Amino acid sequence: MTVDLATDKAAQERICRFVAGVARARRATLANIVPLRGGAIQENWAVDVDLEDGDMAGRHALVLRADAPSRVAASHGRALEFALLRSAKAAGVTVPEPLWCCTDVEIIGRAFYLMRRMPGVAAGHRIVKDLSLGGDRDALADRLGRELARIHSITPSSGGAALQFLTPSSGNPGLDRVRLYRGYLDDLGDPRPVIEWGLRWLELNSRAAAAITLVHQDFRTGNYLVDEQGLTAILDWEFCAWGDPMSDIAWFCAKCWRFGATDREAGGIAPRAPFYRGYEAAAGRRVDPAAVHYWEVAAHVRWAVIALQQASRHLSGQERSLELALTGRIVPELELEILHLMDAAEDAGRAA
Amino acid sequence: MTERPEAADLLEEARRNLLEVLLPLLPHHRRYDGLMVANAMAIASRDARMGDEVLQDEVRRLATLLDARGATDGPSNAQHAKLQELERQLAQDIRRGAYDAPGLRRDALRAYLRASTQGRVRLSNPKALAGA
Repeated sequence: MTVDLATDKAAQERICRFVAGVARARRATLANIVPLRGGAIQENWAVDVDLEDGDMAGRHALVLRADAPSRVAASHGRALEFALLRSAKAAGVTVPEPLWCCTDVEIIGRAFYLMRRMPGVAAGHRIVKDLSLGGDRDALADRLGRELARIHSITPSSGGAALQFLTPSSGNPGLDRVRLYRGYLDDLGDPRPVIEWGLRWLELNSRAAAAITLVHQDFRTGNYLVDEQGLTAILDWEFCAWGDPMSDIAWFCAKCWRFGATDREAGGIAPRAPFYRGYEAAAGRRVDPAAVHYWEVAAHVRWAVIALQQASRHLSGQERSLELALTGRIVPELELEILHLMDAAEDAGRAA
Repeated sequence: MTERPEAADLLEEARRNLLEVLLPLLPHHRRYDGLMVANAMAIASRDARMGDEVLQDEVRRLATLLDARGATDGPSNAQHAKLQELERQLAQDIRRGAYDAPGLRRDALRAYLRASTQGRVRLSNPKALAGA
């Protein structure tokens, strides 16, 4: 059972009863339910909630985030994402405050949670082009580096019971990823020699991570909100894992996430220097350029594998969609970048 | 092709109409959908114009790399099956380390991967070739 929240009065009524219960309000009512353009993996709805009585009496501007009918393999469900969001909030990361999570699928047919709605724009192509957004761009990159450092302050020992569900790292996250992505490719079935070549390189060049921390795994332009002044929230916590903190830095800087502004290497918004500077200042850990290069190869391999998975949802007929179909056709340019980055490494190796 | 105008011509003209006539009439929140449709039509017209040539070129290069026997020309569905078969072998060889050692064999692989990928990018997004 899945429902259209904007029109399904019975589902709205069930949500109201749930919210009134968890918020200890006499009554909850919903208003202004609008679908938000979200990722390909979950559904987001803007909703205003009015609470009568209780500690939170009044109107609250919220986002309801629900599992989509189909999800990619590496994505956590909403309940797990809710736990991650709470941990991030506790670590001082700028996130929308998570309020209540509902795992009872009788309410709307799948798990969902509610969080505060933050102002701002996330769309990567807009942020890259429209300089009236995000404030000073070097300052924004510095701030994002500091936010990422706070995420990386969460470790397997500090994460506590709430993050027990995350798979432990072997200590060599590069090798962990190689195994994972080979498995995904084998499940998909079609041979991809360039991706295999990248995976072999990642296998041969992997090494133990200098540190294992929480990694966001989708920390990039397009997944944070900015208004005219600057950052308002870090979004999309569904891919978090234990891993090498350098992998998040590489994902943020990877060419595939610069939205065409390829010369601004930190997410299409700034040079790397202010981003690295903010990170190092807050993390007390140096950015290792060789590790970042390794993880930039891994970033393009990863995005290529995910793009193949998304295209396969379309091709299999499971979820026919033009957006998913077109995602399949970006794989060749990701493969081109994999080869380009590996050539750079090989040439550097010969010169040394 | 049995009739003219052919597929690529129809797609290109339809796309021009979409971008010049229809897109300005779309409400703002549907603009992205319009651009996605235009992008899909551009890819499909490049496939129709150059797809067979890119496919044949790739099969020929890959057969040479793998020293494979058997026909490397013929109808495009047979070519595609041939390519899949050869790519499967290549993928397995790469994974088991057959191209790890420096030398001519490894250099030939790198040249093949680059040429075949460039061919595919020419179809999917030729703009990406400019920066690479």
